[in-house]
Amino acid sequence: MTQLLQVSQVTKRFGGLVAVNDVSFSVAEGEIVSVIGPNGAGKSTLFKVISSFLKPTAGEVRFRGERISGLAPHIVARKGVVRTFQETTIFRGMTVRDNVIIAHHLRSKANLAGFFVGSATARRDEAEFGRSADQILNFLDLGAIKNEVASTLPHGLLRALGIAIGLATDPTVLLLDEPFAGMNHAETKRAVELVRAVRERGVTVLLVEHDMVAVMRISDRIVVLNFGLKIAEGTPAEIQCNPKVIEAYLGSEDETIGLLP
Amino acid sequence: MSPTKKLAATAAFLASVLVAVPWAIAATGRNDLYYTLTSVALLSIASAGVWLTFYIGRINIGQGAYALIGGYTSAILVVDYGVSFWLTLPIAGLFCAAASVLIGLPILRLRGVYFAMVTLVLTEVARLLALALPITHGASGMVSIPAPGAIRLFGVTLVPDFATLQNPRLAFYIVSVVLMALCYAGLYRLVHSRMGRLCLSLQQNEELASSIGVNIAWLRVVAYAISSFLGGIGGAMFAAIAQSIYPSSFTVTDSVNFMLNCFLGGLGYVFGPMIGTFVLYFGWDFLFQTGEYQLLIYSSLLIALMLFLPNGLLSLRPAAKKRG
Amino acid sequence: MEQVFANGLYLGAQYALIALGLTLIFALMNVLNFAHGQMYVLGGFITYTVYARLGLPFVVALFASGVTLATVGALIEKFLFRPVIRRSVREESTMLLAAAIAFLLDALILLLFGEKQRGVPKIVKGVFTSDALIMPYDRILVGILAIAFIAAFVLFMQYSKPGRAMRALAQDRVAAQLMGVRVDRYSMIGFALGAMLAGVVGGLLVAITGISSGIGGPISIKAFMMVMIGGAGVVGGAIAGGFILGMLESVGLSALHDYGDITYLVIFAALMVFLSLRPNGLMGKPWG
Repeated sequence: MTQLLQVSQVTKRFGGLVAVNDVSFSVAEGEIVSVIGPNGAGKSTLFKVISSFLKPTAGEVRFRGERISGLAPHIVARKGVVRTFQETTIFRGMTVRDNVIIAHHLRSKANLAGFFVGSATARRDEAEFGRSADQILNFLDLGAIKNEVASTLPHGLLRALGIAIGLATDPTVLLLDEPFAGMNHAETKRAVELVRAVRERGVTVLLVEHDMVAVMRISDRIVVLNFGLKIAEGTPAEIQCNPKVIEAYLGSEDETIGLLP
Repeated sequence: MSPTKKLAATAAFLASVLVAVPWAIAATGRNDLYYTLTSVALLSIASAGVWLTFYIGRINIGQGAYALIGGYTSAILVVDYGVSFWLTLPIAGLFCAAASVLIGLPILRLRGVYFAMVTLVLTEVARLLALALPITHGASGMVSIPAPGAIRLFGVTLVPDFATLQNPRLAFYIVSVVLMALCYAGLYRLVHSRMGRLCLSLQQNEELASSIGVNIAWLRVVAYAISSFLGGIGGAMFAAIAQSIYPSSFTVTDSVNFMLNCFLGGLGYVFGPMIGTFVLYFGWDFLFQTGEYQLLIYSSLLIALMLFLPNGLLSLRPAAKKRG
Repeated sequence: MEQVFANGLYLGAQYALIALGLTLIFALMNVLNFAHGQMYVLGGFITYTVYARLGLPFVVALFASGVTLATVGALIEKFLFRPVIRRSVREESTMLLAAAIAFLLDALILLLFGEKQRGVPKIVKGVFTSDALIMPYDRILVGILAIAFIAAFVLFMQYSKPGRAMRALAQDRVAAQLMGVRVDRYSMIGFALGAMLAGVVGGLLVAITGISSGIGGPISIKAFMMVMIGGAGVVGGAIAGGFILGMLESVGLSALHDYGDITYLVIFAALMVFLSLRPNGLMGKPWG
């Protein structure tokens, strides 16, 4: 297995506060890797560093051996590392289908001038994007609501729309930001299947999550953060009986333990 | 709308402004209306630019600056360098676009009220520059700018010398309306092509746009440059018609008015700024009869509109669609 | 040198007071009050009327300006901004409403007070002179009054109950509401207070420079600049911005005197460069 994404000794400081402290791990092609940790462990910060929405204070992130930390987010997306957001970040005023069509931006062969005059390539692109968007929406069971305006959707569907937007960019690695947050049992189950299905499409998945139950079910490997430090890494089985992890989760007032029977 | 319907609507619009309006003016002898309508056409070109910046989610109160720069660029080239006006028109637009790239690179990073305030200040900067620079002839401005000359191609006169015309007002009117039609056709196409979608994505969420690979910094600058291009063209044409330009030709009030035009017409509709300019300009003109109460009535009406139609005039259309 | 510094301090105190009102309204309601300069002008004319025309004491005139503007501000908030904020889809609409209100106040001022520049009799006579400094006593008095008002405002915001409520509101509207702050009421009080500050400065300055109906717009632009320098919505930023602009103006007018009227051009250019380096001003929070 080739290492697709390498996080090496990443540190991020905000003023005096060290949010992420010397964290390293890597993700191989075709894996589902989760980063977990109690609230305030530095997960979100690490996520933003990997997707290049933040610059690391020290260390670097490499994709296929090429340094991507410090590049503009749209360039990182162009290389194939695409992040999703939590549900509020969508194009609220557009229809569901338009949300997904616009996310095909990176796949367009025609340039903006071509689209302006309506060149043959541009028209082919448009038709292709429409087809692909419909296909993605059906794949995520969003086909029935594709003409609704996004701002009217309930939360669970917004999460799926976020993933649809991510898939439309044709990513190599999809970074999911808390894909199961705020979901009930049935919704989580469905979302887990969804993420698996995404992997079946050949997309490598790195997710940051709070919900341990779902993470245990879905991940090939898990990285655990606490107070910005990596305290453990391994398969779900290994993580489940790691004393450091149990301590970290028991020590916090976290209720989503899921580790204990 | 289907292509045939679009074509029919365009033809109907052109027929009414190019044939019916001149005919009606000739019949009623209201020659002064030409000047009013020409002003509306040109101001709505500048407003279209402001509308485009609204479309990428920026509140632009700086269009007066570009109208002023465009007007001076054309006037200086015509008066001091003897360049044909028709050549200075695109030059003025391009000069403004170039200037806006330099100005836009730092300021387009600002959002919301900050961007609005900086652009407002920009209008004031342009006025002070026009007062201070030797090339703009200071406070006395530039007057008696010669009328646009002829355009000849292979000995055929395409456009006659405006100075020789019997009714230059009609000529200016026609040129301005055609220019306006071209600008709005271009803007319509732009907004309904992929570029428009990208602009909309910028307006709705810049972070998400950049995460799907949109180069947001570049797109913002391009949209702003197009906007300023339109401002420059409008200003240049205005200077040619007034045959003069002063530092006070476009001030903060004008910048605010451009923004009001867009808003009144509706920010979600391409033709909003055109309608808005028409209504506001004619409303203002009409209220002239009320003498000293003109501004009072005008502003009260504006406030009433804001209260009762917070989303613009075109939102009144029976089957209002998301993008028009 | 001392002269330039003293002038800057005097100007800065007035400016800071204007900027405080603007920034307060912005912080509470996310409204950029275009009509701020017009409120200043209205305050000036009221002081002029009460003090110069009716012959009442200056303090009474100043008080009248403050009370009138507070009332005007409260009414504008309650009957114009509140319904529009509630109903509009886009935040821009408040800005346009503010622009329309600026036009309206301009029209009213013109109708009520005419277009003539108005001045009032000196409030105190005499000039303070020393080796390095020449300063009329009325300027000194006005400067001290302005600084006193700034101090009073800061103390009010820091320690009084309405002040604390407004700070909570500025920080997080929803959270403040959950904590039981009456949002509507304090938005109105804040707007009234902001308008009152503008009116008071107008009243103070009419004693020095007089007042005329056309200067509302330029005053608003100056106020925007101060707020941008200091950072929008921050009390300390408004004060800093006011004093910085006052100083720059004073220094510019003396140093660039020989080059004509380019002080403001230089200040604008410097502001552009500054904002490209620090988009949120000196103390502003990042936002967007």
